[in-house]
Amino acid sequence: MAFRPKRALAVFWKDFLDLRKNVGLLVSMMVLPAVMVLVPIGVVWTYVRTPDHADLRSVALFYDPTLPLGASAARFLIDKTLTDWFGMFLVMPVFVPILIASQSVAGEKERRTLEPLLASPVTAAELVTGKSLAALVPSVAITWTAFVVFCVGVDIVAWPLVKMPLMPNALWTFGVFVIAPLFAFFGNGVAVLISARVSEARMAQQLSALVVLPIVGMVGGQVAGVLKAGFGYYLLQGAVVLVLDALLLWASIRLLDRERLVSRWG
Amino acid sequence: MSGIHVQDLGKRFGDRVAVEALSFHVRSGEVFGLLGPNGAGKTTTVRMLTGLLQPTEGEATVWGHRVDRDGEPLRKVVGLLTEQPGLYDRLTARENLRFFMKLHELDEAAAWPRARHYLERFGLGGREEEPVGGFSKGMRQKLAIVRTLVHDPKVIFLDEPTSGLDPESARTVRDAVAELASEGRTIVLCSHNLAEVERLCERVAVVKRRLLAMGPVRELRHAGQALEVRVEGEAERFRVALAQLPFAPNVLAEGPKLRVMLADDAQAPDVVACLVGAGARVHSAVPTQRPLEEVYLELLREGRG
Repeated sequence: MAFRPKRALAVFWKDFLDLRKNVGLLVSMMVLPAVMVLVPIGVVWTYVRTPDHADLRSVALFYDPTLPLGASAARFLIDKTLTDWFGMFLVMPVFVPILIASQSVAGEKERRTLEPLLASPVTAAELVTGKSLAALVPSVAITWTAFVVFCVGVDIVAWPLVKMPLMPNALWTFGVFVIAPLFAFFGNGVAVLISARVSEARMAQQLSALVVLPIVGMVGGQVAGVLKAGFGYYLLQGAVVLVLDALLLWASIRLLDRERLVSRWG
Repeated sequence: MSGIHVQDLGKRFGDRVAVEALSFHVRSGEVFGLLGPNGAGKTTTVRMLTGLLQPTEGEATVWGHRVDRDGEPLRKVVGLLTEQPGLYDRLTARENLRFFMKLHELDEAAAWPRARHYLERFGLGGREEEPVGGFSKGMRQKLAIVRTLVHDPKVIFLDEPTSGLDPESARTVRDAVAELASEGRTIVLCSHNLAEVERLCERVAVVKRRLLAMGPVRELRHAGQALEVRVEGEAERFRVALAQLPFAPNVLAEGPKLRVMLADDAQAPDVVACLVGAGARVHSAVPTQRPLEEVYLELLREGRG
């Protein structure tokens, strides 16, 4: 069966239009980026506000006992915060598509719109592509916008101490433009897969959202000093997620089988 | 090959048989009624004929497309009105229709006049820019019908098309169905509204997992024909005499009225002669046909085993 991009784009058009009119979902989509941007800016600001506080040095030495005596603990902790926070920032490109994709796939079942849709010439691959684009495009756009706000915010609050722009750095730039879209694809794939198996959008969201737990767990490991984040560390995460993305894409197209969907939910 | 050709069609879900050995043919330009109680397999049959479900037995073609292998071209020529309108509430009526135009890869500029024609016809003209969420049940149903027709389908499956509509709108829909059939389209109507089926359909099939009966509505009713005889006095006393007839008809007696079930018209004179011979003073003898509803219910009772 031929893949017709026009039909996939039609699904994208409809889902994107529906999303723009879903005020409740838009608000919930904005909460996470706000937290992801404001929390690290706040942390950096606390370091800048009292750079000579004795406790900062103790904390810095916990993470790096070889920190030279003359080095600024505040600057060290700012750099460490920025490196570690990228792991947490990746929760956003995973979570936002989960919110959208759960609504768009399981929502079709809830609203009983699935049967008329499946009775049209659209194929399963076109449906998955259109719905995935409708979840990925806003998620990546939000991630990139949040990144720009984050960079500006960090540079403004850090300037009094470091007298130079800290952001965007190489790790964040590569991470946000290469690794974050892979994570977004992962979140979307999980949501599509789970939405195809459950009957309610809310249940799909709740189950899909569990995939952020390993990411949060890894950030916890970084903060506890067990894991040392860096360029290679995030590159490895990206490679693992890329493989998972390929598996999820394959499984999603298989699970969005017309007969299975109609006989279970139509 | 136009129309619908179904041969020994069946569908199993695991061990459960939903439909078995279904055979029928619907001509181009015909309105065909598919009747049966809830769970009889009507929806499963329609889903197989629209390429949504794969048959597990038999074969069927819809407008020349095999339902088991020509999914995409099949769905291009088929229009399906589902039991639930299935519209996108946050989208306007126009956006709902545009979405399906895009899915069918239609030139929207060319497809709009057709959509507008039906919107006007169903009283939705001027409401195109309103979100569907604010529509009444009847308006939603009518918009769903317009959506079903937007790609100019050759074969149309309508599941309870007048459900939720006021009498005037229901009549508009019925007129539209008749007009669509007159344009050479094949229409399959699933409905529990037997009066509507009787009015619209030339032929009906009564299914309950398998085919119980099929034929022109008139013939099915004819199969249930009776002779209503009004005699002087209590009619009950003539039952024994009628039982002596070679074809031993079923007889219902109530007051001065007898209802004698007939296998065919030719038996009517014998019934009257028998009654007269038994001393009855016959006031009137009127051949009647049972309403489709009665025939339908009897078929279901017979098919219960």
